[in-house]
Amino acid sequence: MQSDRVVVTGRGTVNAVAKNVDAFATALKAGACGIGPVTLFDTTDYRTHTGAQVTDFDPREHIPKTFSLKRMSRSDCLAMAAALEAMADAGLTPISKAIAADTGVIIGGGAGGMLECEPVFARYLESGAGRMPGSPFAAFSCASSADHIATHLKLMGPKTTFMTACSSGATAIGYARDLIRLGNAEVVVCGGAEPLCRITYSAFNALHTVDPDYCKPFDRHRRGLTLGEGAGILILESLTHARKRKAKIYAEVLGCGISCDANHMTAPDVNATGAAGAMSTALADAGIATDVVDYINAHGTATPANDMMETRGIKAVFGSRAKRIPVSSTKSMTGHTLGAAGAIEAVVCILAIEHRFVPPTIHHDTPDGDCDLDYVSNGARDMAVNVVLSNSFAFGGNNTALVFGRFSGNRGAG
Amino acid sequence: MSRRVVVTGMGLVTPLGIGWKTFADNLFGGVCAIHPIEGFDTTSFKSKMGGEVHDFAPADFISGRTLRRMDRLSRMVTTSARMALEDAGIDLDGTDRNRIGIVMGTAFGATDVAARFAGTLFTDGPRRVNPILVPNTVMNAPAGHAAIELGLRGINTTVNHREASAETAIAYAATQIRQGRADVILAGGGDILSPFFFTVLERFMALSPQDGGGEQARPFGRDRNGPVAGEGAGLLCLESLESARSRGATVYCEIAGWGMSSAPAPANDWPDDPAAMVSAMQKAMAMGDVRPGDIDTISAAASGGIRSDRLEARALEQLFEGGQQPAVTALKGAMGENFASGGIRSAAMALSIHHGIVPPTPGVENPIASIDVVSAKSRKMNTNHGLINACASGGTFVSLLLKKDP
Repeated sequence: MQSDRVVVTGRGTVNAVAKNVDAFATALKAGACGIGPVTLFDTTDYRTHTGAQVTDFDPREHIPKTFSLKRMSRSDCLAMAAALEAMADAGLTPISKAIAADTGVIIGGGAGGMLECEPVFARYLESGAGRMPGSPFAAFSCASSADHIATHLKLMGPKTTFMTACSSGATAIGYARDLIRLGNAEVVVCGGAEPLCRITYSAFNALHTVDPDYCKPFDRHRRGLTLGEGAGILILESLTHARKRKAKIYAEVLGCGISCDANHMTAPDVNATGAAGAMSTALADAGIATDVVDYINAHGTATPANDMMETRGIKAVFGSRAKRIPVSSTKSMTGHTLGAAGAIEAVVCILAIEHRFVPPTIHHDTPDGDCDLDYVSNGARDMAVNVVLSNSFAFGGNNTALVFGRFSGNRGAG
Repeated sequence: MSRRVVVTGMGLVTPLGIGWKTFADNLFGGVCAIHPIEGFDTTSFKSKMGGEVHDFAPADFISGRTLRRMDRLSRMVTTSARMALEDAGIDLDGTDRNRIGIVMGTAFGATDVAARFAGTLFTDGPRRVNPILVPNTVMNAPAGHAAIELGLRGINTTVNHREASAETAIAYAATQIRQGRADVILAGGGDILSPFFFTVLERFMALSPQDGGGEQARPFGRDRNGPVAGEGAGLLCLESLESARSRGATVYCEIAGWGMSSAPAPANDWPDDPAAMVSAMQKAMAMGDVRPGDIDTISAAASGGIRSDRLEARALEQLFEGGQQPAVTALKGAMGENFASGGIRSAAMALSIHHGIVPPTPGVENPIASIDVVSAKSRKMNTNHGLINACASGGTFVSLLLKKDP
């Protein structure tokens, strides 16, 4: 079964602007903003107070009562909610035993159960280990999301968790595709999840990379990112398997490229060598030329350095055509969801293909000389979208780019 | 699309020694590196033993410019990376660094830095936290640091899935080389011991001595009473066979197959049913086109854990029932449970295959199952095929199939 084409047959998401995929499509078209005050924890003593929080998230609206939430973190619940939506979307609820035996779970993680462990750690600092309750540590590792999904759905295929900071979700999707192409799984539940938590919030603030108001990707007055939370999950499947069970096919995963800056732990390489490398590798992997790309979903964090670097990288790869390709940062709506970002943005790309539109970069008001591409500033744009490139760049210099395409039954194998 | 993947080098920073030569002497000599912990005060703990890395001088391997930015785990991993490249005889200056990557597994990352960062946050407040620490609190820091030090611009990824992190990293790296996405990937993993992390392990992960008896790791032992915590890093230099041949490199062995599976399990615990673990071994063997009778040796995941060792023993009994019994060795008896241990254990297996000798499992006298555990002394034997098992809490299983020089 090597070299089978890999298609998307299910999608799920919970994020600051939507608690399911249909609502997400509506929010993206409307240019909704999910940024507001953070209420998950007290931000009084922090430098900033805003975030893209998933407000009024009740796990029980998404996860059936038959499954205990006791040892699950908020992050696990976000991942599970998105996974259950994606499975239902793929027509795999309930999943047969035969399909479950060949279904894997590959998740990109982030802070995992940190939010729940933080107060426990604070108490440990005050009064020692004697008073430390154990249960939050059961869900400390970001690996627990994949464990819960596989356990709940009785999935027996390959399972793992990547943690490459802001590119985790995209890397997970890339590996899910590899597993299917190599015949290691027929179906893979893949994506990413990230909770807001105090450690992450203080860390990004210490680096002064957070905009105290709201992020303004590619804008001249951009001052940094807005931290967000959420989950995005895709169901990937071999084309043969999807056809056999007559599944609805939303898109095809065409390519994946991974590179490393090998330059600096937190600052992007101003020359954009690594970023451009990931983009060109992904396009080469997809076997397509730069001129068929209709839309680029940018990493677009709204830090001064990233947006300039990414613009430079896009120009390096696309040359004179760069200015004619719509490029948007949906982090302007969802915030930067770190480990989940690549996966939530993969959902964006698939919606753009299906609903034939390009989502906007909101809060992009003042052009910047260093950022001179078409950032889709004036609302969503209706247009045919057949091939999309999605960028994720991370601390550690970890860059991942994914290419998605409209599914066409006529395309050659591979 | 279907290139073969071989091991051409290894780098090790372990309780059994730094570099593969010292490691091999101690490993095959049956040395047990589990001793009372010296790195921090254990007075308040019930468990006091650990497999610690000693005599590690990172400045011998890492340039001063990057060394000062690195945490302890990053230093171990970067050192392992440099050693693996040198062992493989790869001259970085004559090689396309876009085609060389690093895939790291870690279960917990830099727990020392994370605890320091959080300590400031919750004691002095968010405005007092040290931004210098931030990059090293992230799990992918070690792979990032190693890439910066060595200038490696190829695939760079970190797997973070409990006790299966490093074996999965190796399977992932092999997948990338097989598909032609890289020519060389340094793959394996590492974890460290640190005081707060030890607190969590001791409280919630059932370290020895669970029954109040003698504290020691006894993999597959009837008298086992929990794992002993360990630390260390190990990376293999994985390379496409054609790349290794084109530069006339010494090949330790081939990564001939890998299998991954999962089973429903209680949170943070192991399932009872060995079916998924059997399935991971079967998948690895199927990929390498071998049968149970071809397997000469097994590097078990067994650590002395009550439930996990029983699970693995049952899986091995089931898979090899009625047939020829492979020589089973469990390195966690010599080094402790160091979580992302798959890089170190794969290096040990590569040495076994290359030199025809299987290391012993210190601490085991009376195994629980009818499996052939190599106990007191190492065993000289021709070794063509070996399996390395990972058995992670939460029900994740990985098996790697290593095969003699193709």
